[in-house]
Amino acid sequence: MMNVLLPILSEPQHFSGWERAVFGALAAASLFGFWRRFGPILGRILQSKKDPDFHLFPIGRRVRDFVWEVMFQAKVIRERPLAGVAHALVFWAFCAFALVTLNHCATIFGLGFLDPAGRLGRFYFDFAAFFAAACAVGILALFVRRFLVRPKWLGAVSWESGLIALLIFALMITYLAAFFVPGTSDAARALWWAHTLTLLVFLPLIPHTKHLHLVLSPFTVFLSRGGFAEIPPLADDEDFGLVAGKDLTRLVSLQAYSCVECGRCMEHCPANSTGKLLNPKEIVLGLRGYLNEYGPHSEEPLLGKYNAQEAAFECTTCGACEFQCPVGIEHVPIIVGLRRGAVNTGAWEDDHGAKLFLALERGNNALGMSVAERDKFVEKNSLPLFDGTQEYCLWLGCMGAYDPRGREIVVALVRVMRYLGASFGVLRKEKCTGDPVRRLGNDLLFQQLAEANLEALKQNRVRKIVSICPHCVRTIQEDWKAYGTPPEVEHHSEFLARFAHQLPPIQDQEKIVFHDPCYLGRYRGVYEEPRRVAALAGTLVEAPRSHERSFCCGAGGALVFLGEEKGERLSHVRAAELAATGASVVGTACPFCNTMFRDEFATKGEGAPGLMDIAQLAARGLPD
Amino acid sequence: MKIVVAIKQVPERDAPVRIAASGKWIDEADLQWAMNEPDAYALEEALLLKEQAGGEVIVVSAGLERVGSTIREALAKGADRAIHIVCDDLNGRDALGVARLLAAAIQPENPDLVLTGLQSEDVGLGQTGVILAELLGLPHATMILHVEKTDAGLNVKRELEEGWFQSIELPTLAVLTMQSGGNKLRYATLMGIKRAKTKELRTVSAAELDADGAPTVVLEQIAAPKKQKSTQILPGSAKEAAVALVEKLKTEARVL
Amino acid sequence: MSVLLVLEQSDGKIKRASWEALAAALRLGPAESITAAVIGAQTAALAAEAAAKPVGKVVRVEHPLLAQYTADGFCAALQQLIQNESPTQVVFPHTYQVRDYAPALACRMGQVLIGDVVGIDDGPLFTRQLMQGRLNGSYRHSGNGPCFVSVQAGAFRTDGIDASATAGPAPITTFTPTIDAAQIRCKPGEPFRGSEQTVDLGSAQRIVSVGRGIKEAQNLPMAQELATALGAELAASRPICDNGWLPMERQVGSSGQTVAPRLYLAVGISGAIQHLVGMKGSQCIVAINKDPDAPIFEVADYGIVGDLFEVVPALTEAVKAAKQ
Repeated sequence: MMNVLLPILSEPQHFSGWERAVFGALAAASLFGFWRRFGPILGRILQSKKDPDFHLFPIGRRVRDFVWEVMFQAKVIRERPLAGVAHALVFWAFCAFALVTLNHCATIFGLGFLDPAGRLGRFYFDFAAFFAAACAVGILALFVRRFLVRPKWLGAVSWESGLIALLIFALMITYLAAFFVPGTSDAARALWWAHTLTLLVFLPLIPHTKHLHLVLSPFTVFLSRGGFAEIPPLADDEDFGLVAGKDLTRLVSLQAYSCVECGRCMEHCPANSTGKLLNPKEIVLGLRGYLNEYGPHSEEPLLGKYNAQEAAFECTTCGACEFQCPVGIEHVPIIVGLRRGAVNTGAWEDDHGAKLFLALERGNNALGMSVAERDKFVEKNSLPLFDGTQEYCLWLGCMGAYDPRGREIVVALVRVMRYLGASFGVLRKEKCTGDPVRRLGNDLLFQQLAEANLEALKQNRVRKIVSICPHCVRTIQEDWKAYGTPPEVEHHSEFLARFAHQLPPIQDQEKIVFHDPCYLGRYRGVYEEPRRVAALAGTLVEAPRSHERSFCCGAGGALVFLGEEKGERLSHVRAAELAATGASVVGTACPFCNTMFRDEFATKGEGAPGLMDIAQLAARGLPD
Repeated sequence: MKIVVAIKQVPERDAPVRIAASGKWIDEADLQWAMNEPDAYALEEALLLKEQAGGEVIVVSAGLERVGSTIREALAKGADRAIHIVCDDLNGRDALGVARLLAAAIQPENPDLVLTGLQSEDVGLGQTGVILAELLGLPHATMILHVEKTDAGLNVKRELEEGWFQSIELPTLAVLTMQSGGNKLRYATLMGIKRAKTKELRTVSAAELDADGAPTVVLEQIAAPKKQKSTQILPGSAKEAAVALVEKLKTEARVL
Repeated sequence: MSVLLVLEQSDGKIKRASWEALAAALRLGPAESITAAVIGAQTAALAAEAAAKPVGKVVRVEHPLLAQYTADGFCAALQQLIQNESPTQVVFPHTYQVRDYAPALACRMGQVLIGDVVGIDDGPLFTRQLMQGRLNGSYRHSGNGPCFVSVQAGAFRTDGIDASATAGPAPITTFTPTIDAAQIRCKPGEPFRGSEQTVDLGSAQRIVSVGRGIKEAQNLPMAQELATALGAELAASRPICDNGWLPMERQVGSSGQTVAPRLYLAVGISGAIQHLVGMKGSQCIVAINKDPDAPIFEVADYGIVGDLFEVVPALTEAVKAAKQ
């Protein structure tokens, strides 16, 4: 069949010594050009500080991620399907072409190992031809997208991208054309040289452009930290976070050089889309610029010429950037690392931030409220106290203990738990889990809170925690690990979903739109459980951006404690999006989301949708 | 400029207060401790003056061993060195007795300026700083919000009643008691705590200082106040409630 | 036994707090045992005012260097007076001025001031507040020498004072202390107000704060009238400022200002956490809301459950009436 589709690939049979010499010289020059640029980059990466918590094993996860994200191009395709497939074709073509290129260069020395007339050779060359055609189509489509359609997150018109596209196109065309000329002709020779020259020009350009990701990104994905938005431990007593170049670790440097500038992080960044200075792409490229100018041993502050402190503190740590990144860049630890550098050294001077830190230095909760208020709430609602015998410890958190709306959520959850006959209790005293100070990079305060809490939980013999707040859940389960072994913890949506079948649904079916909290969805992968619970009280509709694309409410990253935002308010944007679905109720699963939207819907007046936590939705069907 | 800041460790603001069996003081078991807030403002002012004009900030505090944690917090925030007057029975001394201890420790340092907080959050006498000035033979000013160093000495901003303020000029060798809120407090940082480990923290016992502690004023007994805070909802029509409210605000709350 | 009562003046008149101190002094001894002292450079009018009250005698402590208050000047003068009079107790009103010099004065005489007293019982035992008002402590003076006491404003009622004035004015004498200009080490300046341009809610003693219950911008003047009558600043919760009805600098809450005035009136505010954290330190909180379950009532000292459009005007009337 193949014989019918394509003729035999032509290959010049004989090359003169002069040709070989020229090829040798050009190849040497090309490789030299490549190394001249790539060598220092590799040097900068390898000379960066070692990552204190890097473990090559278990390797299974790494292999899995590599296969899924690199070989299958899963992330690339999923978020931008058309462009993603086009790119995938180009990538697969490059993979397929590996042997072809090798063979191509070997032929000038008579060392070609793939015979175009032989069965294996024929098959392989035809196979590559299919990809070459797909690649040519793909690259054409991407060219049109970048230069004619011009989506804004690709940035300004980039001539280097055009050049690279042209070279790739030329590579594919020169390859395909070689099927249609006789092997001994001058045309074949010309095509061979055209293909070779294109190749030799392309090679040194790779490290000069973002196409360096061709070389680096497979490693970046393979070597990534794993998990999601994981904040690494500080290395030693002299480590205060990402203060200067000398604090950048190998992984961070590798990631900085891997950025493809695709702009997906920027596209999904809620801060960026509401007029703030923060742009995750620029944060990463800023590190690259810094490394190029100052290198990995520099004492020059990272927050200076290439990155602004203001931008680093506009991040809600929603993780949409990191979640999207097709080359494995982990933005959240980078941004938190920059914050650590500013906060642990006292360089960050912010009134609201200082107030938050002082409130937690001197007291128990992030809101600066008196503990007596929590005691009154517990007493007034007759919440059972945890005495070590109950199965669950119901963790109130700062919002559940002090915020009127948070308290309503707790009261509703308690109603449901009692109805289910669950055995639970509330601790007499709680300290803030430390989530806001962790995301702001205050390691001193976080350590104090984590250690105090772990000790208290141990003394109280807590084994299982249920919490209404995804931030508490995340901090307890992941962030406290650096200081001890936390008890099991789950979010109340997971608890309620387990027993949803025992809860009576209600008859009047409202339209409910569920807003995925960042720390429950992207951070924990929990999307279906809260929906199962919400479905008890109505029919679900989805917001345009839902599940892993959910748009942040704006409270995360301690931003809810930091005062007025610049630009448009995130909660405003998201609240409008949720209201526009036509739902009569917005369902939330995080007390912070709840409080952010409460203000928004309050100013809207009569037409605004109702706002309920899933615990309240679950409680609706309960007999009074 | 050599500045001495006298700080006190007090029970955490939110701490539940239980009266000890003796009835003479609160039960200190289970309490968490913090730096007295006006003293934190005094420390902040001292650190700002040091940052502007150079010099040294020394913190002094009297009390049990646990006071060490508050002293280290002060070192972490930027004080250069500290003196801990180890004293078992601080509560048994009156303000004069406490001031005598502080004066004995501070005098040999020959500071240019001594700052204290306006009053403590536990006993709230507001006198120790003033008495300290008297014992050291130095001029003083109270309720200070800002300190500025001038060629002639100091120019300070003092708070008066009803939203008024006053500037006072005094010579550099002086004692000032600082009001809360004049500055923004800085937070303790990881870097500060690490550095604090190498700073000098000298301990001296109250006995060594040989400061007379016999009190002239004795706290006989403590008790819970009869009226607890509870919300009084004023009933009746709008007019009746309004009149009743004004009466309460005048006579009970005394804010009108 | 005798009581020396130190009166404080403001703008040529004796301050009300001084009369409350007199009421306290009257608990320690009869009117005849009380010597009232007025201090300044020209004290004739002050002395006359004091002489009309129930005191045994009035002493004019006069010296040109006492024209303006200084700690050094007042301490020097009063120390000499006390040595002259040898009272068993010295009573002051607990004012900012007294807090500035009385401890030093007591120290000079080997004593300690029992300050900010809210009650006097037999003994005498003096009651003062500890732990920010959460506890009361009973103090006893045990040294040799005068007992120095200062009295909290508003703790003692002055109702009975004019009525119990003795038949005629008390005798007035003058005492001239010896003070050298070199003794006065501080130079105080003229009092001034805080900056007028920016709204400094932080230093306002009284605040009337409006929330969503006010419904519309055109209802604000009603709240402003109440604020004016109370001599209070107008503030608001976030939604009001978001709507542009009041400038952002009048916002009280986690993203606005944190305030701790003596009186905070929350009108039509439900009491969300973002607002509470901004005002929970207020000394006296009054809430007016039509919802009896509004969280604001949890932190309020006084509350009126009702329609604010009726309550606020009624309150303005009542405040104006009380001032007369």
